[in-house]
Amino acid sequence: MPNLYLRQTARRRWLTLIAALGLLVAGQLWLQLNDRQAFMGVWAGLAWLVHNFTPDAAAWHDLPTITYQLWRTIVIAIAATSVAAIVAVGLGLAGAATTGRIRWLRGGVRLFASVMRNFPFVAWALVLLFSFKQNDFTGFLALFLMTIGYLTRAFIETLEEVGGGAIEALEATGARYWPIVIQGVLPAAIGGLLSWVLYMIENNIRDATLVGMLTGTGIGFTFDLYFKSFRYPSAGLVVVTLIITTIAIELLATHLRQVLTH
Amino acid sequence: MLTIAGLNKTYPNHKRGLEAVNVTFAPGVTAIIGPSGAGKTTLLRSINRLITPESGSVRLGDQEIRTANAKALRKIRHRIGMIFQDYNLIEELAAIDNVLHGCLGGKTWLAGILGHYTAAEQARAYELLAEVGLADFATQRCADLSGGQKQRVGIARALMQSPEVILCDEPIASLDPASTQAVMTLLGDLAKRGIMIIVNLHQVDIARQYADHIVGVNQGRIVFDGPTAGLNDAALAAIYAKEAVAEDA
Amino acid sequence: MIAKPLTLTRAPQPQKRPLSRAQRATRLLLLALTAISGYALVTMHTDHLNWATAFASFWHNLQLMIVHPHLGQDSWAALLQAFANTIALAMLTTLLGAFLAFFLALATARPFAPKPLALAMRSLMAVIRAIPTILWVLVYATVIGLGNEAAVVGLTFHSVAYLTKAFAEAMETVPPAKLAALRATGCGFWLTVRHALWPEVRASLLSWTFIRFEINFTNAVAVGAAAGTGGIGYNLFMASAFNFDFQEVGLIVYLLLAFAICLEFVAVRMRKHLTH
Repeated sequence: MPNLYLRQTARRRWLTLIAALGLLVAGQLWLQLNDRQAFMGVWAGLAWLVHNFTPDAAAWHDLPTITYQLWRTIVIAIAATSVAAIVAVGLGLAGAATTGRIRWLRGGVRLFASVMRNFPFVAWALVLLFSFKQNDFTGFLALFLMTIGYLTRAFIETLEEVGGGAIEALEATGARYWPIVIQGVLPAAIGGLLSWVLYMIENNIRDATLVGMLTGTGIGFTFDLYFKSFRYPSAGLVVVTLIITTIAIELLATHLRQVLTH
Repeated sequence: MLTIAGLNKTYPNHKRGLEAVNVTFAPGVTAIIGPSGAGKTTLLRSINRLITPESGSVRLGDQEIRTANAKALRKIRHRIGMIFQDYNLIEELAAIDNVLHGCLGGKTWLAGILGHYTAAEQARAYELLAEVGLADFATQRCADLSGGQKQRVGIARALMQSPEVILCDEPIASLDPASTQAVMTLLGDLAKRGIMIIVNLHQVDIARQYADHIVGVNQGRIVFDGPTAGLNDAALAAIYAKEAVAEDA
Repeated sequence: MIAKPLTLTRAPQPQKRPLSRAQRATRLLLLALTAISGYALVTMHTDHLNWATAFASFWHNLQLMIVHPHLGQDSWAALLQAFANTIALAMLTTLLGAFLAFFLALATARPFAPKPLALAMRSLMAVIRAIPTILWVLVYATVIGLGNEAAVVGLTFHSVAYLTKAFAEAMETVPPAKLAALRATGCGFWLTVRHALWPEVRASLLSWTFIRFEINFTNAVAVGAAAGTGGIGYNLFMASAFNFDFQEVGLIVYLLLAFAICLEFVAVRMRKHLTH
């Protein structure tokens, strides 16, 4: 009966709406939020930001330090992603249904990727800080460990896009495993793989601030230092350079991705 | 000479693939016809062991294929070319790269990995592309080619192996009539040059037009095996019968 | 065997192949990544790090975390409450963000917004997204005080900017003709949005919202640790950076991991359900 159908969809719509509102209210009650304070805070915060964070003459003196730290951060984020990508290609080949020849290894790789992807990176950062102290390598390792799970999963999907049929056709010519992978699968997938690497570099540069704050390295540490010693204009300058860099890298990555995948 | 004897294949879900299949393929074009799910593809793929049957024998010359070890199997596969309904090319690569893939099986492991092709191999790949009428498309990405062109790249890749046999798994099922004619004529020419062509076909009229021999398959069994001229209405009825044949036989 | 090739219509020569744009970009990018990585690894400041001890201690702590997770200073009750706080924070900011982003996306998506407005919105959202979440939270913690409010406002900011971009892109995939069809029946703007746009983009918006929920959950943990706004992230920070109790860190990690893997499972199911 058409009537019944319409009534049911209407009821489902209302239930969904009520559930969403209920979750909103429940969340607020649980966190004991002061809504008024939070709402007014939005504008107060923006005003405060503009007033205090505008870089002044003193801040410009810090520019060389800031740009140097930013440069180091970017370079290390790229290195961490690239090294992770090399490992992830190997894992991806072992984990993809089309190229992974060992069944239990395939499952193992997928499980490993899932655990690494969901492992709270705060924990990585803190544990690494304890053992490797406050230096570049700690940030590098933290970003590396954060990236490996994501890239492995993404690579598995990208490698599987090179169809099983094409691989079977190469097997039918009598070619061996590694020539098939290196001459057939990888050249076909390289555009997709590099797109993912670019995406992760972009992401890691965004996250590098937070990781830096936790591990006491790079631009995150620089910001923390200025912020905690109330040198707000310098902290503001850090933010400005971060905005410029992030947007520039986003635009560059988007453009490159378009070229790579036609 | 390619001989198949007593070949059996059952799939994991107890579906019969092939049952006691005996057939000898002669030079020329042999078309395998039969209803969907009859075992045409299973038969074809058993020849280069993309599917491994449980029992029986597949012999190319004096070489047993069904029980060959990995190394021997690769050698035999290199002697047998194959083309597919969906072309199965590496679409991101240029046509010439895909043709060159045909000689990967005859190379050492290291040369294969490095993708090192000799000048002679490169020249031959260009020659073969010209032969299938794609001289101007050598450096084109395969993804940008039409279906008929892709299939011709597939044929060139198979020819690159200098094969004794070419297996064709529904090679024209995705093609328009003009490309169908071009591909089938090409296969006929290759047969005249001494390459044995075994082709799975859906359309009986195409089989009649281009094949020298017909093998009819139904329910995993051979129900017709003979020259094209012998394919009369009774034979056709047996090939495309629904259940009756399995019970009678 | 082929006796000899057929007579050729023309004799093609192996030619030097021109690289396509994509191939050139691929090579250049691979080269650049290798060069930058090499430079970074060679010039990395390690401050005379003793590699053997560092890796040994890292391995030891990892074992403590993974093999011997154990309660530390905080009781189960305290941990679970902090955990619930983090989940509530992630949920609230995602819902708020999605709600606001829907309307902002209408002002950003090409079929609806006039060009200058769309461009202005896009740029604004790009700038907000470029500022890390943690900075928003730190700023708001300074202005309205350390607490859940600062975390909510800070996380919402970033969610709105992220979801607005995603939602607008989803809306742009709807063919304008479908909207025009409803316009043609005499519907106004909001009716068109409600009855033509919404049914088309509903599934995609839902899946983006869910992705953002996963991100916000991670961020809520991070913010608690780095800004001290509470939640399980703060416990994680205290256990590791102050008490050096890696057994408790391990326990918290297991808790977070379990939740995240449940979310991933739900996400996979949902995607299958939506795209079937």
